[in-house]
Amino acid sequence: MNPLITVENLDFTYPDGTPALMGINLEIGEQEFIAFIGQNGSGKTTLSKCINGLFKPTAGKVIVEGLDTSRRGIIKQLVTKVGYVFQNPDHQLFNRSVKSEIAYGPRNINLPDDEVEERVREAARVAGVSEDLFDTHPYFLPKGLRQRVAIASILALKPRTIIVDEPTTGQDMQQSLEVMNFLRTLWKDEGHTIIIITHEMRIVADYAERTVVLGQGQILLDAPTRQVFAQPQILQQTYVEPPQITRLAQKVSMEEPFRSVLTVEEMKKLSKEVLS
Amino acid sequence: METIIEFQNLEWKYENTKEFALKGIDLKIKEHSFVGVVGANEQGKTSLLSAICGLIPHSFNGIYRGQVLLFGKPVREMDSLELATKVGLVFSDPESQFTAMTVEEELAFGLENIGYSLSEIKERLEWAAQITMIEDLLDKSPYDISGGQKQRVAIACVLAMNPPVIMMDEPTSMIDPLGKRLIFDILRKLKEEKKHTLIVAEHNIEQLAPLADEMILMADGRIVRHEPTLDFFTNPLYLREQGILPPECTEYAQWLKDEGYLAPDVRLPLELEQAAELILPIFQKKVVK
Repeated sequence: MNPLITVENLDFTYPDGTPALMGINLEIGEQEFIAFIGQNGSGKTTLSKCINGLFKPTAGKVIVEGLDTSRRGIIKQLVTKVGYVFQNPDHQLFNRSVKSEIAYGPRNINLPDDEVEERVREAARVAGVSEDLFDTHPYFLPKGLRQRVAIASILALKPRTIIVDEPTTGQDMQQSLEVMNFLRTLWKDEGHTIIIITHEMRIVADYAERTVVLGQGQILLDAPTRQVFAQPQILQQTYVEPPQITRLAQKVSMEEPFRSVLTVEEMKKLSKEVLS
Repeated sequence: METIIEFQNLEWKYENTKEFALKGIDLKIKEHSFVGVVGANEQGKTSLLSAICGLIPHSFNGIYRGQVLLFGKPVREMDSLELATKVGLVFSDPESQFTAMTVEEELAFGLENIGYSLSEIKERLEWAAQITMIEDLLDKSPYDISGGQKQRVAIACVLAMNPPVIMMDEPTSMIDPLGKRLIFDILRKLKEEKKHTLIVAEHNIEQLAPLADEMILMADGRIVRHEPTLDFFTNPLYLREQGILPPECTEYAQWLKDEGYLAPDVRLPLELEQAAELILPIFQKKVVK
């Protein structure tokens, strides 16, 4: 199967000369759920912006569904391939009504009115934004709903890949579960590839199948999440710690299966087997 | 220790909301204690802190019933100068409190306003900068530094005033793991100094729990639990229903107790090292390292 996104020997240097990414190689396939982790400044957001075409490679290339992101005028096609949801929904919401917010993307790529209408309804339905809210000003919605409107406005462009920057920052447990379960639905039921950028290792352990660890502009690890958390020494280089229960299990033993325990439930199950 | 903050049946409703944000709050906080405040968003955590530092009722319109005593005096009757010398509040969004061109000016702002002497300002500034690890940022613009550094500057501003009560409202919710760790390092140092009363609202329970002497759980404008931290975490199921996850180590140790692998009278661990000490002996014979 062809990958959706191929990143080849990508370097990215900011205009002021600061190198942000060096020698990145990455293949992202259909219907994956991936987490990008690493301390601030490690290159997570820069890499995401290279993938959605906002940043052009300094060297190397990024191919999204067959499109080279460095080609001129490619962005109108790219927005229908990769969607990017900002950490703070207020940074991307700017229309006066929920409906025009969701319709903005499809209108901008010159779709006919009836198609825009249809996409708005479909995106709102999938994102769980009630049509009763269509005339409401997005700013008057609670944060969780503003985030859903932000996601709906991305869904209306029908991208296969959706990148969500820190979906749970500043949210409480209930709100975090809601948004994460929603992203899981987009992944499992709607077939999207989901990439989250996050600092919450519990969220990574619970939701991401694959984890890419970035440090100082390079990929330190790219593996199934379980294998990633089994490498605490490498994670340390980018100030990431596995979930607390993983660290506790690793204190019991650095051998499998203790080494790669991800959740409290797994640890309980394992304890039962070993102790009884 | 002496009670320095006392809520007496406080009720508070913001002007433009239907529901009361704080309902029937009775609460006593002792001097030099470290109190953690948890609960889902919009349940009253920020309002509770605001009622202690006087933002409620002085900076908002609304309905205020009952009272809050700070060092025996009603907050409602204290002016902003008096309040500023008694209690400081750090917000989750540090930029919301910046006004100056350099970090150093930012730190001096509050002190100059109160009219301290230059030597006193210098001394306090040095202490605050040292404990928050921002000495090398003093010449920089507060807008020109990372999110974690901004939050440490915001904390230093409050520390420079050296109020006996220091409160933080989700101080780590917007910053990365390394930044979070440094903020909790500051809190640990302050706790060890035993010179301040610390009240911290946080979602990051894993790092809050080992520091807090007592925990307050807020739900729907009420204090639904207020207990010593260890007792607070002995019923993880109840907490989960309220949207609170105990530290994973604590939850797991509780299970070991329930299953009989740990003695019923053993103290629950609140952090990783304690937990490891407790459980390693159980596994020692069974697992080859």
